[in-house]
Amino acid sequence: MPKIRSRLVVASALLFLFAGASNAQRSAIDTYAITNARIVTVSGPVIERGTVVIRNGLIAAAGANVTAPSDARVIDGTGLTVYPGLIDSYTNLALPEAAPSPSPGGGGGGGFFLLQQQQRPAAGPNSTQPVGLQPEVMVEDVIRPGGNEIESSRNIGITTALTSPRSGIWMGQSALINLAGESPQQMIVRSPVAMHVGFTPLRTGQYPGSLLGVFAALRQMMLDAQRYRDSLQVYERAPRGTRRPETDRSLAALIPVIDGRMPVVMLANSEREISRALDLGAEFKLKLIIAGGREADRVADRLAKQNVPVLLSLNLPRRTTAALPEADPEPLRVLRERVEAQQTAAKLAKAGVRFAFQSGSMNNISELLGNARTTIENGLQVADAVRAFTIWPSQILGVQDQLGSIEVGKIANLTVTRGDLFDRNSRVTNVFIDGRPVDLRPAAAGGPGAGRSSVSGTWTVNIKLEGQADQSITLTLQQEGERLSGSISGPLGAGEISNASASNTGEVRFTVSVNVEGQTKEATFTGRLANNEIRGNVAIVGSAPGTFTATRSGQPN
Amino acid sequence: MKRVISELLFLAIVTTLPINAARAQRPAAPETLIRNATVLTVTRGTLQNTDVLLRNGKIAAIGKNLNASANARVIDGTGKYVMPGIIDCHSHSMLDTINEGTLAVTSMVRTEDMLNPTDVDLYRELAGGVTTLNLLHGSANPIGGLNTVVKIKYGRPAGEFLFPGAMPGIKFALGENVKRSSQPNQPGVTRRYPNTRMGVEEVIRDAFTRARDYKRAWDEYREASKREKNLIPPRRDLQLEPLVEILEGKRYVHAHCYIASEILMLISLADEFGFKIKTFQHVLEGYKVAKEIAAHGAGASIFADSWGYKIEAYDAIPYNAAIMTRAGVVVSMNSDSDERARRLNIEAAKAMHWGDLTEEQALKLVTLNPAIQLGIQERVGSIDVGKDADIAIWNGHPFSVYSRVDTTFVDGEVFFDREKDLARRPELAKERAALEQAEPNRPRTQGPSPQTPRRRPSKHEDDDMEVEKP
Repeated sequence: MPKIRSRLVVASALLFLFAGASNAQRSAIDTYAITNARIVTVSGPVIERGTVVIRNGLIAAAGANVTAPSDARVIDGTGLTVYPGLIDSYTNLALPEAAPSPSPGGGGGGGFFLLQQQQRPAAGPNSTQPVGLQPEVMVEDVIRPGGNEIESSRNIGITTALTSPRSGIWMGQSALINLAGESPQQMIVRSPVAMHVGFTPLRTGQYPGSLLGVFAALRQMMLDAQRYRDSLQVYERAPRGTRRPETDRSLAALIPVIDGRMPVVMLANSEREISRALDLGAEFKLKLIIAGGREADRVADRLAKQNVPVLLSLNLPRRTTAALPEADPEPLRVLRERVEAQQTAAKLAKAGVRFAFQSGSMNNISELLGNARTTIENGLQVADAVRAFTIWPSQILGVQDQLGSIEVGKIANLTVTRGDLFDRNSRVTNVFIDGRPVDLRPAAAGGPGAGRSSVSGTWTVNIKLEGQADQSITLTLQQEGERLSGSISGPLGAGEISNASASNTGEVRFTVSVNVEGQTKEATFTGRLANNEIRGNVAIVGSAPGTFTATRSGQPN
Repeated sequence: MKRVISELLFLAIVTTLPINAARAQRPAAPETLIRNATVLTVTRGTLQNTDVLLRNGKIAAIGKNLNASANARVIDGTGKYVMPGIIDCHSHSMLDTINEGTLAVTSMVRTEDMLNPTDVDLYRELAGGVTTLNLLHGSANPIGGLNTVVKIKYGRPAGEFLFPGAMPGIKFALGENVKRSSQPNQPGVTRRYPNTRMGVEEVIRDAFTRARDYKRAWDEYREASKREKNLIPPRRDLQLEPLVEILEGKRYVHAHCYIASEILMLISLADEFGFKIKTFQHVLEGYKVAKEIAAHGAGASIFADSWGYKIEAYDAIPYNAAIMTRAGVVVSMNSDSDERARRLNIEAAKAMHWGDLTEEQALKLVTLNPAIQLGIQERVGSIDVGKDADIAIWNGHPFSVYSRVDTTFVDGEVFFDREKDLARRPELAKERAALEQAEPNRPRTQGPSPQTPRRRPSKHEDDDMEVEKP
């Protein structure tokens, strides 16, 4: 009973939140027409001048000779191009910062608890497996509407995203969501979409603690799932006289995977990582999808032959650091990798490997289309680049009847631009999701061309140190280029920061003396600026590590 | 006959794998004739002014005035030495991770999953005349992971490295590394069992007891399922399956060890369960129990003169190879180091200095003997007609510190060629200059300095550290 009550409390609190955060426009109008626009249908030829009609959340008509219905709100599309809404095929959008947990309501919100959650992958209740090896975890259970990240993605024309658990080995099951809606139920287009596998070992001291163990653990669990499935079948045939198999949620979640019904997305970037994933997929006859795929072109033949698609990251590697005279030259291999990563998309297209673009958790989502342009400059056909954001992801993720092209009856997700989508000077003017227009922030706030954002200003920094109560300090920063100066004040003492830098991709770093446990200690803050917040880690010499979140409390004078 | 069947079986398995489709498609190695060289056959002495013909990846003929087909490459071997490719019986090259250290028994992990065919150490090893490696799991646990025997086919996909027909193996380890004596006690952290040599023995005995029970459970199930239909099979256990293979003689044990008492312990434990230790690795005190090692039928894979790096490595002498060889132990010299692997020829030569082994005995330490220890002696380890064309051409006697490798062949194909390497360098410098100008490689004006790439230390001395390459 107490549990139910606490769930109710949480539920009503969430409802309240949703109502408050919602920015979708509730209105009776559900019919729109974009007229005189260039329409890139993707499924058919480009319509140079035509009309798209949206009704009841779906595409009602599209063509050169379509006229706007009388009850439609008409948008004059002269000079505009209408694309199917862009799909980002691998994200962590709409997930809480802390790892997803399928049992909301459990646990009270102490600082320490939050910290623990942030460091650990998702946990499933009553699992037979350690955290990180729980395939039954579903992001569907923790999706939250709204938020700055979703808004930033919409601003560049993304209407749909595959959102997957953040960490783990058996990471859990992803969902495809539309990036608008007042509730998870409205957002979810399809769930579960795929099982996700990462190869990062558990860092808990538990097995598997290395990549060696990760492979062994993945194999063993798939073998266990096969036996679980077979045992259930035996039991079903003859429940009388057969010992009942113990139920196991983790193994049960793997049955569709080993039966080849549910696709498995494996995170793999280098040639050998992809080869290993392909080997494991072949060993267990999995329906495999590669995510990342930086060197996928080097195994293009195998990918094409085994019909394995790639969710290709547009988080293109580049040198982020300065050239210091005393630094060793970078290895030739690294120099080659950065250049060749820009050519992967074109080579995959040429080799006939199915692929879709994804943002690859890039720091600044506004670079996404620019990076797609880089792949076009390196040989990818523009039409293929459009497909890799629309029809190809819809096919790979199994929603080709609902999304990915401008066709009658499909979900009315549309991205409207002035100028070609990948043109340097193009601008997203309108975005429709589920047939409704979405408010777009002015481009300066985070759209293309926003460029470097300054961290100058006054920040309230909330610091969580393991095993200690939260502390709040004030941080003042002045940024000039990548140089950073400033000071702190508050319960941890006052002093100037040193060794400080802020990169134009938003990485912030500084060192400062703090008073902890009656001693003066050196604290190093490393974090990242995103959406007007800096989040990151604090390392204090001789103390347990912690995390911090800085929110802006004042603009620079 | 049995071997043929198992090879056929292996082939049947291999050909179903997609990786190996590529191997089948590769054109046969070009024919090569090495003329008028000094040939160190290892099995039949040194042959002066002799030709060696490599055809279809095999050593096709050895003799004087051999004929080759018109399109064969002819190498003038005058003044050069031809030696079998060196076999390193203890290597961790090309492994992205070498230790799963969380458990005391990790027989479920496989080094084969970790292969990095682009590891530059492989190229350096080819340049030292090495052609075959025994890739072992680290020594963090009494029973470690499964090994992989590879031919160094640098530049090819990982699947093409696998040595066809090599006996499967596993790493065991005894002593300080597995009882974690170098790991400080930390408050609040439970130390992994075992903490003593007694515990190490118990862990291994327990594992084999479980393996025996496991085998029995499966045997009983197979028997019972003939009569009864609705039986649920026992759980397949990837940890115990390799141990069952050891009990059945289908998997070689390569046991890391140092001191005499633990060597005797493992021999008696193996006798108790009825299996054999194929090699003792490092085995610095092997000279003390050489007769017992020989009687068990085990080999020894050692360092020439590396010792004193920890307490259990103090009681070592440089005569280890000679004493064990004379006691009838099959001895090899290994590197356990990406650096030492480049000069195993010199490690072998040291056994002539310390202990007066003959040149042929010393050569065997890095060729035929490790081949025997890995169950590949029918394929490699000497220059004999019909063996794989895995050879190196040296510009002087390989036991001279002034000698170096000109060309290294694996399966008749050139994988290292000193002249070509030198010729390529200006081209690489040009490529670097161009790449550094490319947009994603241009440095930013400010910011943190570039990180030097994190690498596994090359001198790991069978360390039990958990280090991963980036």
